[in-house]
Amino acid sequence: MSTALSLHRSRKRKNSVMMALCVIAAGIGLAWLALILGALIYKGLAGVSPAVFTQMTPPPGDAGGLLNAIYGSIVMTVIGIIVGTPIGVLAGTYMAEYGRFSKLTTVVRFINDILLSAPSIIVGLFVYELLVRPMGHFSAIAGAVALSILVIPVVVRTTEDMLNLVPNALREAGTAIGAPRWVVIRSVAYRAALSGIVTGILLAIARISGETAPLLFTALNNQFWSSNLNAPMASLPVTIFQFALSPYEEWQQLAWTGALIITLTVLGLSIIARSLTGRREDR
Amino acid sequence: MKPMLSTDLNAVDTTVEKAKIEVKNLNFYYGQSKALKDINLSLPERSVTAFIGPSGCGKSTLLRVLNRIYELYPKQTAEGQVLLDGKNILDRSQDLNLLRTKIGMVFQKPTPFPMSIYENIAFGVRLYEKISKAEMDNRVEQALKRAALWNEVKDKLNASGLSLSGGQQQRLCIARTVAVKPEVILLDEPASALDPLSTAKIEELIDELQADYTIVIVTHNMQQAARVSRQTAFMYLGELVEFDRTEKIFTSPREKRTQDYITGRFG
Repeated sequence: MSTALSLHRSRKRKNSVMMALCVIAAGIGLAWLALILGALIYKGLAGVSPAVFTQMTPPPGDAGGLLNAIYGSIVMTVIGIIVGTPIGVLAGTYMAEYGRFSKLTTVVRFINDILLSAPSIIVGLFVYELLVRPMGHFSAIAGAVALSILVIPVVVRTTEDMLNLVPNALREAGTAIGAPRWVVIRSVAYRAALSGIVTGILLAIARISGETAPLLFTALNNQFWSSNLNAPMASLPVTIFQFALSPYEEWQQLAWTGALIITLTVLGLSIIARSLTGRREDR
Repeated sequence: MKPMLSTDLNAVDTTVEKAKIEVKNLNFYYGQSKALKDINLSLPERSVTAFIGPSGCGKSTLLRVLNRIYELYPKQTAEGQVLLDGKNILDRSQDLNLLRTKIGMVFQKPTPFPMSIYENIAFGVRLYEKISKAEMDNRVEQALKRAALWNEVKDKLNASGLSLSGGQQQRLCIARTVAVKPEVILLDEPASALDPLSTAKIEELIDELQADYTIVIVTHNMQQAARVSRQTAFMYLGELVEFDRTEKIFTSPREKRTQDYITGRFG
């Protein structure tokens, strides 16, 4: 009886020690996040003004804004998504629907996982060799292509995963009513997996909107307004990179503000993605 | 081997009635393993046939051959003949989508599509028919009435099919199947995931539907087979052990294995 009691006590003690360790570990993780966000908001908010959204990046020592960089980021992200999403969704559809039992799917999934974790700078270098060198100059197109290459594996993965979550019974039901396979995929499987697939696309946007490395070798940067896709284009991450390393105070301030804008955008996208997934689980 | 009951007035030989589906020398394989062994069976028109037997006996497999849904998966092959109105549906030239409009299927778990109640039914109709909105409205209403669901959902046809209760969802699936005007309806343990009240409703429905459709039901529940079917096939280890009028199977089966199963000695 007493041994059982002491055993129970020692277990309780161990439990509280482990619990404390877990709480501390979680606290450390959260503390860094809070510090980063706090610094970002504190320093970034100081520079937020209408000028940020209406003026171009300034020469050293002058006041200015981030309009060209924001515009460039949006343009290249949008093109990257428009190019990358259909390829990703179709590839994911093949893997989860048509090629579910084929060897090819296993191979593609393996390669896709490598691509998913490939350092983005390598994608930048690849596009540099593929487009920038043959064309002879940096361009927004090259930047967008690099971003789309980053989009594809994310979308492939989530599309496949989400379609795999659709119960086979639903596919069988669609088939049993006489629907051809493509109709079952379009009207039943996609519909059931829609919020998950959209979440994947949002996460892909969140990922590429903060990428710097693939743009350094492709879109380069541009101090001025440019909407020419065939010329170097500014982007928020590269501008932040450049301005943060500069000795000029105005530039450093703009870098903080730019970082805040990206962070809030990514945060907003993640929240939307979360709420979409949440709604799916509610059903 | 022939204790023929001359007293049993109901003992009509099932082969005399017009056969809707005839299964001849059917063998089925999952990869290398043989799941159905030389099945021969004839399903009479406009009547309910039940497949019973312990788990893994092949009753669901046999059902899944009848609309060739097994072809969704690789390495599943059927040999032999399944004649629907005399035409072999296992033939390569058989159009699978058309076959499945003629032979509908309802599954164990309710599977409403992720769309509105109305769309769940219109979906299948729209695949093969171009009809006006008014006709479609009528079609949806008729199907829902047929499945005894109309009164419960007539005010919320635009609500998601997933918002219904399990029993309602299953009746929605039956309505959806009926709406495309099939000739045969396959039911794969349609009530095993439902409560007793919903089960009773489904069974009532099956009883009404047999006036117009040839129905095949797979069930674990022997009482259910006894209640709803006219013929019962007892299967064991991939073989068709005995096939006869339901009363006969449950009161005086020919085979000892059937006797043992229905009296609960195994399975």
